[in-house]
Amino acid sequence: MPHSLLIISRQPPWSGPNAREALDIALAGGAFDLPLGMLFLDDGVLQLLPLQSAAQLQQKDLTANLQALSMFGVEDLFACHTSLVERGMSPNELSVEPIQVLRDHEIAELIDRYDQVITI
Amino acid sequence: MKQLIVDGRTIALDKDGYLEDLHDWSNEVAQALALEEDIALTPDHWEILELLRAFYAEYQLSPATRPLVKYTALKLGADKGNSLHLNRLFNGTPAKLAAKLAGLPKPTNCL
Amino acid sequence: MSTLHVLSHSPFADSRLSSCLRVLGHEDAILLCGDAVYALTPATAARQTLDAKADSLQLFILDEDVKARNLTPPDWVRSVDYPGFVELSVQFDKVNTWL
Repeated sequence: MPHSLLIISRQPPWSGPNAREALDIALAGGAFDLPLGMLFLDDGVLQLLPLQSAAQLQQKDLTANLQALSMFGVEDLFACHTSLVERGMSPNELSVEPIQVLRDHEIAELIDRYDQVITI
Repeated sequence: MKQLIVDGRTIALDKDGYLEDLHDWSNEVAQALALEEDIALTPDHWEILELLRAFYAEYQLSPATRPLVKYTALKLGADKGNSLHLNRLFNGTPAKLAAKLAGLPKPTNCL
Repeated sequence: MSTLHVLSHSPFADSRLSSCLRVLGHEDAILLCGDAVYALTPATAARQTLDAKADSLQLFILDEDVKARNLTPPDWVRSVDYPGFVELSVQFDKVNTWL
């Protein structure tokens, strides 16, 4: 049984490479059938805002790519409730579905469950 | 730079033979690309190429093998959404070759 | 399973430290290195937050980064050198580096 990996994505979508790198790890790992989870924390939850427009910035469409996670076998998706509330976001209006919204203590338990964790 | 000439039109290809510009794609271009790979396109091929273009329109990326199989099974059923069927159609490397013939970029998440 | 959370960014620039403290498990520990050791600066909100958790928090700091910045760690914090850092990485079930 391969080690399970939790990827914690905590950077916003358009201003740097980190959100893209976190997603690339998830897609590559999923393509190879690794047991993966992905948690959106801090500014990472901004990736989940609906109706964003990558074309305005001549960038690859990260938010469209995020939709592919389940096709790549990455179905354990989580978002931090505190981070959403801090940013005025509603747990019911996220662009990626299904996604579990977790309280802080549930995130501690989530991290605990995985063999390895990477925070980007 | 590689290129392909279809109906007198010059189509630019990258070093691996994928279209430089996704908008250059047409049925004739797909047939010319397939000819380079010694594949005669059948209706079975075409439905996968159309499926791939739909995948790209939705997700803005080319699928690796596993998501291609999953998406095909979802849209066309399990008798077509399996690696046996896809391997047979696309010379054993469906993700790479079907993306090429569908005019999509080379999938980045598959070896 | 226990996790060692490794932080290296200044607590004044970003939310890594506060987020890490929010999602910290009972068996987890934090190691501050690089600019993250500025969290020990006296009379700052970061230092006060840490001091308030002195009873429950396992906090390690990388000695040379603290000394380089002329900071004084409180008594309840444990200093480690690089070999100590390596030892900790092995002791805990996993290491989560907040890049």
